[in-house]
Amino acid sequence: MAAYVLGIDFGSTTGKAVILDDEGAVVASCVSQKGAVSDEGVKVALQAALQEAGITLDAIKRCVATGYGRRMLDIADRTITEITCHARGAVALVPEARMVIDIGGQDSKVIAIDASGLVAQFAMNDRCAAGTGKFLEVLARAVNVEIEDMGQMALAATESVKVTSMCATFAETEVIALLAEGCAKPVVLDGVHAAVAKRIVGLVARVGQRDPIVMTGGVARNVAAIKHIEEALKTKLIIPSHPQVAGALGAALFALDDLRQEGASRRRQDSKVEGEVDQLMAAGMACVPACAQKTTPITFKTRNPAAASVAH
Amino acid sequence: MNTSTLDAPVVKRSNRLKATKLNNKMVTDYWEDLFRAKENGKLVCWYEGVAINPILQAADLAWCHGEAAAALMAARNEEGPAQEAAEAAGYDRELCSYARTHIGCGILSQRSTEEAKNIMLPSDPAERRSLASRIPLPDMIISAYPFCSTGQQWDDMIYRQFGKKVPVFNISLPWIWGNKPSAKYMSGPEYRESVAFLVEQLRGCIAFIEGISGKPFDHDKLREIMGFIKKAAEIKIEAMRLCKVKPSPANFFEWTNSIAPVNFLPGNQEIVDYFTIKRAEIQERVDTGVGSVPVEKYRLFWDGIMNWNKIGWLSDKMAGYDACMVAGRYTHMGFWHETEVIDLSDPLDGMAQNYLTCPISISAPQMIDKVIEHCEFYEIDGLVLHGARTCRAFSYPQFMLAEAVTKRLGIQTCMFEGDMVDESYYKDEIVNSRVEAMLEAIEARRQRNRF
Repeated sequence: MAAYVLGIDFGSTTGKAVILDDEGAVVASCVSQKGAVSDEGVKVALQAALQEAGITLDAIKRCVATGYGRRMLDIADRTITEITCHARGAVALVPEARMVIDIGGQDSKVIAIDASGLVAQFAMNDRCAAGTGKFLEVLARAVNVEIEDMGQMALAATESVKVTSMCATFAETEVIALLAEGCAKPVVLDGVHAAVAKRIVGLVARVGQRDPIVMTGGVARNVAAIKHIEEALKTKLIIPSHPQVAGALGAALFALDDLRQEGASRRRQDSKVEGEVDQLMAAGMACVPACAQKTTPITFKTRNPAAASVAH
Repeated sequence: MNTSTLDAPVVKRSNRLKATKLNNKMVTDYWEDLFRAKENGKLVCWYEGVAINPILQAADLAWCHGEAAAALMAARNEEGPAQEAAEAAGYDRELCSYARTHIGCGILSQRSTEEAKNIMLPSDPAERRSLASRIPLPDMIISAYPFCSTGQQWDDMIYRQFGKKVPVFNISLPWIWGNKPSAKYMSGPEYRESVAFLVEQLRGCIAFIEGISGKPFDHDKLREIMGFIKKAAEIKIEAMRLCKVKPSPANFFEWTNSIAPVNFLPGNQEIVDYFTIKRAEIQERVDTGVGSVPVEKYRLFWDGIMNWNKIGWLSDKMAGYDACMVAGRYTHMGFWHETEVIDLSDPLDGMAQNYLTCPISISAPQMIDKVIEHCEFYEIDGLVLHGARTCRAFSYPQFMLAEAVTKRLGIQTCMFEGDMVDESYYKDEIVNSRVEAMLEAIEARRQRNRF
């Protein structure tokens, strides 16, 4: 029976699953949105990924979980933070990457990558939602547009307005006031994306800009966010083919390391050890620089190369 | 698929020093004495900032250090009533939580006096029993805040809260810029001018106290008190430096517990004995190879003020990560950290030098050099920066510090937001995600270096 590994990113608003075969090729990847830290979302993403790969859960020999809900998954052999997994996934997608910008639902991260593909430094937003996917979601609602459409709509702006980048709640009030004053939706949305870019630039400054920069996370599919960040950083961002699954891909690659290290014969349940860090390090390879040894981008064998996306 | 919570990681507890219990008793005794100060006929001074308590002790006053009071309440989970009282009085939650808590003490202690019971809305019995309500009203206020203008404004609010009837003395501590080529840490004309300026103000402060107490200041007693403090601080520093060994026999969180004896407790033989016992316990651990955490895989350095309501929590959390927070800027670079300049025949100069070189009053390059010195000495793997939400003054140079340690020492850093005494700003998952990611990065580097 063929061996597969699974990476799950249990994010604050979406569940992502990536399945790799034992050669390290992506055989399935799936994104599901089911609300805040939802195990339903993860279940849907996992089921869709298993279906995409044409396998059952029994074929999964190792599983690594990441994201805010990473500790909530009993099928995971171990957990790794989203910083380490996003870096690993981004480097697998774009080996030349030296910086990763990831804008997720609840947090934004900027990760500097060293020459060997390891995390050199990172910065994350503080407790405030400003500059995150949640910020865009709240403001899309205020403007009454679908979040998927807001980026494209913002590109039609003919002038610019300033929207606060400090607080999502204040920004929402501000947006409503701008609309009440007759400001066109594209103009307001342009200001919203500029506010997000401003926060990201602050995070980039904390760790020091390093090119080339890869952008991952759901917001990497937003053309206006990309435009504003590129303008602010004065550089072109690399958007990988599957930006939203970078964290899950990184987790899957760590699972593959574990599988190769321990052998497919060892059952997942056998490897459970006591202690969080023990658990993290017990596999021997842990957060190894295996990513650094890759010189070509990872391949996707998914039947749907655009990665299945299941929104509920 | 079942997404129920995984088995919780095995809970590990840090290996607390027995001496900490002694410390807790000394602190409790001190506050009980303070609560009875008026009954014992003592004048009470409220003050903020640097440790001027030896002067107050020599003048036979009782004293309440604002930050210490707030920290004590937070450590005992009793900060709520004072913070709520301040908020009800209109003090915004974004303001310094030390100040808000202390101002809240002022409100509650006034509300709890016998007079207040007759003329004001009576406080409920539980409120009157709270720590905040039991702090005796001030007969004088001394503001001695380094680096942070909040200190003066805080005392201004306290002054107004007491009807502008309590006399105030302000000690102005100059910022040590250290920009001139001649300016080095604790040397150069700029530094000496600042010391002289501060000594003059300390003399003025003594005269202010004499004016209120009506008693001549006892300089011999100050020399004696400073003798105890100098000795206690020397032993403390020796004990800290024993933590160079691996595994470290004590951790940063233990040292936060040891701030009180050298920051606001009376200078006497008791504090010397306490640090002697603590040093002996640490030496014993060195001799027997006992560490402060059950497994020490990572040695960390803490930058920022302590989360006073999370001391034990964070200590155990780090133990769970097999990480020892060996040292910190807050504990290791302040609180009588430069004992050799204290000349007991004329202690004011040495006291001024210790006040001026506290790690939040010196320029970033000097502070960074000192942190790097500590990181090298204790062989630190990672730097954890705690950005206190309501103390931005401490946070200003933190990113510069993170950049410097990364470039000069190649060590990993992470930052999380919390607060000194306002627990609502602390979020556990934020700490988890930052610290875990940093430990993963440290581990990855170690493994790469093995290949």
